[in-house]
Amino acid sequence: MGELQEATLANGLRVRVLPNPAAPIASVYTFFRVGSRNERPGITGISHLFEHMMFNGAKKYGPKQFDRVLEAHGGRSNAYTTHDVTVYHEDIAADALEKVFDLEADRMGHLVISDEILASEREVVKEERRLRVDNEPGGMLDEELGTLVWKAHPYRWPVIGWMGDIERITRLDCEIFFRTFYAPNNALLYVVGDLEPSRALERIRRYYERIRRGPPLPPVPDSEPEQRGERRSMLRHPVQAPHLMIGYRAPAARDEDSLVLDVLQYALSVGEASRLVRSLVFDKRLAVSLYMDWTWRIDPGAIVFYLELKPDSAAERVESALYQELEKVAQRGISGRELEKAKNNLKSHLLQGLATNAGKAQALGTYELLLGNWRAGLDLGDRYEAVTAKQVQSACEKYLVAHARSVATLFPAGRGS
Amino acid sequence: MRPRETRAEAAARSLWEERRREVRLPMLFETVTPGGLKIVIARRGPLPLASIHLVLRAGSSSDPRGKAGLAEFVAELLRRGTRRRSADEINEAVEFYGAALSCGADEDTLSVRVSTPSEHLGTMLRIVSELVREPSFPPKEVAAARERLVAQLANDLDDPALLADRALLRALWGDHPYGHDVAGTARDAASFVRRDAVDFHRARFGPRVGQLIIVGLIEPWQARVWAERAFARWSGGPRSPPEIPTAKNPALPGPLLVDKPEQTQSQVRMGGPGFPKGHPDLFAATVMNTALGGGFTSRLMQEIRVNRGLSYGASSNFERLMAGGAFTVSSFTKTESTRKLIDVAVSVIRKMRREGPTAEEVEAAETYVAGLFPMRFETNEAVAAAIAEIRVYGLGDRWVQRFVPGIKAVTRPMAAAAAKKYLFDRPPTMVVVGNAAAVRKQLGGLGRLRVIQAAELG
Repeated sequence: MGELQEATLANGLRVRVLPNPAAPIASVYTFFRVGSRNERPGITGISHLFEHMMFNGAKKYGPKQFDRVLEAHGGRSNAYTTHDVTVYHEDIAADALEKVFDLEADRMGHLVISDEILASEREVVKEERRLRVDNEPGGMLDEELGTLVWKAHPYRWPVIGWMGDIERITRLDCEIFFRTFYAPNNALLYVVGDLEPSRALERIRRYYERIRRGPPLPPVPDSEPEQRGERRSMLRHPVQAPHLMIGYRAPAARDEDSLVLDVLQYALSVGEASRLVRSLVFDKRLAVSLYMDWTWRIDPGAIVFYLELKPDSAAERVESALYQELEKVAQRGISGRELEKAKNNLKSHLLQGLATNAGKAQALGTYELLLGNWRAGLDLGDRYEAVTAKQVQSACEKYLVAHARSVATLFPAGRGS
Repeated sequence: MRPRETRAEAAARSLWEERRREVRLPMLFETVTPGGLKIVIARRGPLPLASIHLVLRAGSSSDPRGKAGLAEFVAELLRRGTRRRSADEINEAVEFYGAALSCGADEDTLSVRVSTPSEHLGTMLRIVSELVREPSFPPKEVAAARERLVAQLANDLDDPALLADRALLRALWGDHPYGHDVAGTARDAASFVRRDAVDFHRARFGPRVGQLIIVGLIEPWQARVWAERAFARWSGGPRSPPEIPTAKNPALPGPLLVDKPEQTQSQVRMGGPGFPKGHPDLFAATVMNTALGGGFTSRLMQEIRVNRGLSYGASSNFERLMAGGAFTVSSFTKTESTRKLIDVAVSVIRKMRREGPTAEEVEAAETYVAGLFPMRFETNEAVAAAIAEIRVYGLGDRWVQRFVPGIKAVTRPMAAAAAKKYLFDRPPTMVVVGNAAAVRKQLGGLGRLRVIQAAELG
């Protein structure tokens, strides 16, 4: 990443530009440090709804123009919202890159929010919620688990928001939200592709420089109390087989344990030869699939296991088999070979993540946002290398314990214990 | 100050720029093993990674009668044991080095793929060779895989989008070999035994129906030596790929409603005949479809999502296979607005069929498709898959260079002709998955309605 150029504009916008002449294309990632974490009860889901509003018209490019102009220049755009961050990204033919700066700066500086478009976009988001949560067993369970793992922190509500809140968000809420969070000093701009860095920087200045700096951000309260025992919830829905989702409280991205947990995650769940997949899916034949999620977050996050079972599975048996495996790791650790394998796979995935323009922008931007510096992402390979088997065992012992556990189950309607 | 460029220099520079921007495959090095396996090798950096893609003409369209899903089942069993190694030993040998193995089938092909750090390419080639030449299909593994598959197919009934796709596929292709999911059916899967896998392997696997593609940061001569060594002793098997009959694409007389009473949202699909891979209509149809249901600014997305808030997504697509193709439309909406969604989609498609895209839409679609085309070749895996596709479907090695000019040569009349030809010249086959009690009364006047239970799609 030697050629990466950095600049911070007078309004606080941080810009990173990285040339890659391999193909005549470029990718642009704009990160705003705002997500459902920055919401409050009553308007949950506003970060995500707002992400939709960002495509609906600004001063220079009015309603429906953003994607129309972009696509007509050989580009495409999308966006995503998480608990911590909202990210807008574009891929475009390299010779039209400037158009993206024009479009993005227009909406960062001068978004226009109309009642009519808000009403229509609200319906679109409700359909998205019906698709991903209300008619999807995994979505239902994930939402339920969030309310178990967190009692006070905003991580407890789903990124898409509660249906009632999606109904309730007003235009005024959106305007306040925009002025507070969509300021250049709360944003990070990554541009990777077939470009000449100093020329790209000069163009970026031209379009973004005049956007006004925003107010200091309101702090996010973290009053999460200590967990004093296992929490459980049981849902019923007409499904074929029981579903099992188990969450454990985990540290924040910046905590040094987060890297150790990456190694643990790989040793336990990545590949058919990983501990849990091999044991629960193949040897004991208890689950159809097993997925372990450990995503770095700004505030202390969660490690989540999701198991897809068979129609005749006894969920309790699967649960105790999982706990036994975790117990084994907590007591005896993992072998030297398992440790090395996990590191090899982590390093391979780090490298593969950098294979595309979008991959580079996404990875480096995320590191900068969560770790404070994109360079911290480049050292990851070495830092994984330094993790010891003892640390992995200690992390398992510290985090994957019964009293820090939350269990959400979904049983076929009319069945279960 | 730089000296002023002469006219000749400027012309040379612009030619250079144009050539540099032209998308092309890396240089291909080729060889054939004594058994007839074609090997294609391409060097591509800068990351120290490589991709192996072995493809065989043994897709789900060659599943025997009563054994729907067998090709995919066999593909997944390859890594569960060979004559030399157990499943654990295979997985360990691959995953220890940070490589990843995937085996699977689609309608026309079965493939084994490995992404690996370049330094382990030789080892991985040996493993891939072992997997396709000498799988042992251990009885215990066959039983376990069957049990997983049957459960997986049962759980699929909880996925309304997947059910809608499945119902449309069955309706569109009928008895044709493309008329079942690659994953198969619960009834057939329950009957899979070791003998089925062994027979399928014997009948369908062999070097003469295969291609081995290797792409990555490697020395081509070295890769060639390793590949030739690994596959030197592979011989026999089928002489030629299976014949797939040309499809007739029957049409349903009216909508098929799949009942899932708990749904608060309906999944809607429509479909009709399309064209196979390699067909000359591809360019005109792609441009027309980009305007109809391709990008975010397509007419379906605009009318359904942006103007009416009826759905989160709406799209149309030409699915292209070896022996036929289909044109399909896909969206979803809350139960109460199911009919409204259908009416809007049908009227958008009718208008496009009647008038074709506007000149402005044609121009925008061409810039859009051409501008993003290079993104299809950003990784070793994508380049290997593109080479495999070119070879399997006989698209010709200049396919990649031909694509953008082909798109740019499409005129408005050509795109309009594609709309006339493919946008439902007879009423489309229509599928709705949702709460039948609430949806049924909305579907009047669309032809003879048939209602089935979700479980019938198992």
